[in-house]
Amino acid sequence: MSNAFVSLQKLSLAYGQTVVVPELNLDIREGELIALLGPSGCGKTTTMRAIAGLMTPQSGKIHIGGVDMTHTPANKRGIGLVFQSYALFPHLTAFENVAFGLRLKKMPVSEIKSRVEEGLNTVGLSHLADRKPAEMSGGQQQRLSLARSLVMEPKVLLLDEPLSNLDARLRLDMRTELQRLQRATGITMIFVTHDQAEALALADRIVLMKDGVIEQVGTPDELYNNPASKFAADFFGFENIFAIKGSNIIGSNGSLTANFDAENGHLAWRPSAISVGSGPFQGTVMGVSFAGEQREYVIKTDFGQIKAANPAADPVYEIGTLVAFDLPSKSAWHLPNVGNDS
Amino acid sequence: MTSKWTSRLIIGLTLTFLIGPFFIIIFAGMSAGDFMTFPPDGLSLKWYMKVFTVESFRESFALSLFLAIFGTIAALILGVPAAYAISRYNIPYAETIKTVVAAPIIVPGIIVGLALLRYLVVPLSFTVTLALFMAHTALVLPYAVRVVSSSLNNLRSDMEEAAVLLGCSRIGAFMRVVLPNIQSGVLAAFILGFVTSFNQVPVSLFLSGPGVRTLPIDMLSYMEITYDPSVAALSALLALLSVAIVFLAEKFLGFSRYV
Amino acid sequence: MFQNNREGLALALPAALFTAILFLLPVGLLLSEAFKIGGQWSLQGYVDFASKPLNQTVFLRTLKLGFLVALTSAIIGYACAFCIVNLDGKNRGRVFGLVVLPLMISPVARTYAWIVILGRTGIVNDAILALGLSDTPIRILFTETAVFLGLLQLFLPLMIISLVSALENLPKDVIPAARVLGASWIQVFTKIILPLTKDGLVMGGTLVFTGSLTAYITPAILGGSKVLMLETLLYQRVNVANDFVSAGIIATILITMSFGANLLLKRIAKARS
Ligand SMILES: Nc1ncnc2c1ncn2[C@@H]1O[C@H](COP(=O)(O)OP(=O)(O)OP(=O)(O)O)[C@@H](O)[C@H]1O
Ligand SMILES: [Mg+2]
Repeated sequence: MSNAFVSLQKLSLAYGQTVVVPELNLDIREGELIALLGPSGCGKTTTMRAIAGLMTPQSGKIHIGGVDMTHTPANKRGIGLVFQSYALFPHLTAFENVAFGLRLKKMPVSEIKSRVEEGLNTVGLSHLADRKPAEMSGGQQQRLSLARSLVMEPKVLLLDEPLSNLDARLRLDMRTELQRLQRATGITMIFVTHDQAEALALADRIVLMKDGVIEQVGTPDELYNNPASKFAADFFGFENIFAIKGSNIIGSNGSLTANFDAENGHLAWRPSAISVGSGPFQGTVMGVSFAGEQREYVIKTDFGQIKAANPAADPVYEIGTLVAFDLPSKSAWHLPNVGNDS
Repeated sequence: MTSKWTSRLIIGLTLTFLIGPFFIIIFAGMSAGDFMTFPPDGLSLKWYMKVFTVESFRESFALSLFLAIFGTIAALILGVPAAYAISRYNIPYAETIKTVVAAPIIVPGIIVGLALLRYLVVPLSFTVTLALFMAHTALVLPYAVRVVSSSLNNLRSDMEEAAVLLGCSRIGAFMRVVLPNIQSGVLAAFILGFVTSFNQVPVSLFLSGPGVRTLPIDMLSYMEITYDPSVAALSALLALLSVAIVFLAEKFLGFSRYV
Repeated sequence: MFQNNREGLALALPAALFTAILFLLPVGLLLSEAFKIGGQWSLQGYVDFASKPLNQTVFLRTLKLGFLVALTSAIIGYACAFCIVNLDGKNRGRVFGLVVLPLMISPVARTYAWIVILGRTGIVNDAILALGLSDTPIRILFTETAVFLGLLQLFLPLMIISLVSALENLPKDVIPAARVLGASWIQVFTKIILPLTKDGLVMGGTLVFTGSLTAYITPAILGGSKVLMLETLLYQRVNVANDFVSAGIIATILITMSFGANLLLKRIAKARS
């Protein structure tokens, strides 16, 4: 608590009567790169807008840099926000867009010029300084929007799905670039994403949200390997999740009698943990798809459907084949029953 | 390709019906004779010249121009904030407010003029000019709100939020970010308002007094007395003025999408 | 950021209050006069008004002309709008501009032209005499026909604009698709175009109908005292007889009909969808 730079305490957010975030507590250290991860509509943008001061919380507090900023107007918080929609000023050139905030600070013209040039340079847009946003590609606009926030040297930079509109290639480039910038400037950054791979790759810590509630907070390692709930496990690629009762697996169609050393809760496997070809259980191949390194199978069994994967080099089992498989106990992740799992 | 010719014929006939009459008044005003006829008895520009020498035309033109310019400016001063509030905020009674502001479109102008005369000019000794000014402002207001609203709705509100986060005040964000991006809408609203106000007749039927008459009313009363082609000439001039304004507005603003 | 509704209200209220107090209030007072006879609240004014044959004629004539103008402009409007929509981009813009143009021109100028066309020595009569259809000029000016033509010219553009934008929003290729399925042109119109553009028709219809009801200049110039409509009647009652009761009644009728047309047409549009 004492070393928290951004601290959200019992934050409750609503649009009119619709409560989107009932009660949120979160502490973020200075210089951290945080990913706010969650499915569409879970309240990520809403939370960011509250931190930025664009919406007033129903109740709760927002501390930034040790100061209570719950009621500080947005233009006095020193926070940058890169909008999901860029929110560039269409009537201004790239240069003027970046200079906008600096000019408001009444900075000397020469300093504005050098800062803007530096900012444009950082995002690789120096050659487009005189273009208007409408004459730029989506990716260029996104980078321009980033530069506009960066030159303000905010205490905290919020990024709402900063990479969502880029193509796969540019996305990877920008990922690296963002990380580099963050390390170089030491700015505390919170970025929103609903792509778990992006969160894993970039963040120091991941905040996983569901329906306005924080499901789990932790390092990428923790969330990937030790998801704390069925929802978190599902989100991080445990595609086979089965309830367990008295060491039996309960699937959607029935149960599987086996000896798992868990009494209750759920057992979860990644597809890559289940291989097809040998093992004590049987099922019919319903679908095969090639995914680069591995070949993925959808298998129908007596107790339900499972997803498995073999190395791509292994022999292919055609659709309709009866195959054997194993659910290895040692690679199962055990989720004890917790409150809001359904 | 008969359908192509049918289509041209339909468009041609409709346009002739809509626009043809203006060519007729242009020529009727060029008559060399003293009475309106068509085709004119000989050609001259004397009626066009005469228009400028008629004292009452000059005065009423000045009044109409004053009302159109300042009435429209007043309507924009009231209308732009209202349009902004309606498009950005979730204000209570928004529907009622919209209905009230739009109401002058439905109320026939002649009734407006009469009502203002009976309840403002006579008992409260408002001057006729002031009453006219208010009536024109209220009449232009719905157009101003509508046109500016549609510009605002095309503008994402997160731009203002971005500006505020970069340090602008709320008013600053409006001036620096919103206004520059809706200026063609505001200009279009001004032109539409100006033309509506300038051409407005019924409101001023009752709202006129000694020396205070709008141009269309003056033309009507001139026609009752004299049947010379000067009204045709004046009509033609006004039509040409409107055409010029609309042409320029269309060229620079793409005006017709705002109508 | 836009959560503070007080702020929003503060921005919207000046416009609303201005119109409410300086515009609607006086109009409301005027309308209420029709219910006051000699300082007493009563409906006698309406009864008297309705019993006068002249008033009945004028009322029915106004309705009839409004209806005819709306109907005619719908027919011409569909034909014309359909042709405009099928033009290529550049020509479409030009023709559309020419249709919008008359709306920007003073109605006095627009109506005045018809005097030149329809008058005793006007073009139409010149033609009639020259063709030997009649020995003496016929009277067209100051008839319902003249008023009808004037109103049609004044308001047709509103219908065309509404229908053009409705037709532009028609999903692509529905018409060829219907033709391929064997629909005749009449079926295409009644089964496809009409249902899909009815909002535009309702909008245009309301504008034209209410515009015609409340037009003053056209009946004043082209109809004179021979072809009175409600607005010209109102003017006459006030100017000639200081009759504010009739004025209030006519005003109420006009506003009610404008509102009524609006609501009725909206209802029709909703019921059919
Ligand atoms: N202006 C608004 N008024 C009412 N409800 C809103 C408003 N904006 C968002 N919501 C609701 O609040 C919830 C959270 O929205 P939010 O935009 O925060 O989601 P998100 O997590 O950012 O989703 P996404 O990943 O799709 O951007 C949603 O259910 C949404 O429908
Ligand atoms: Mg979002």
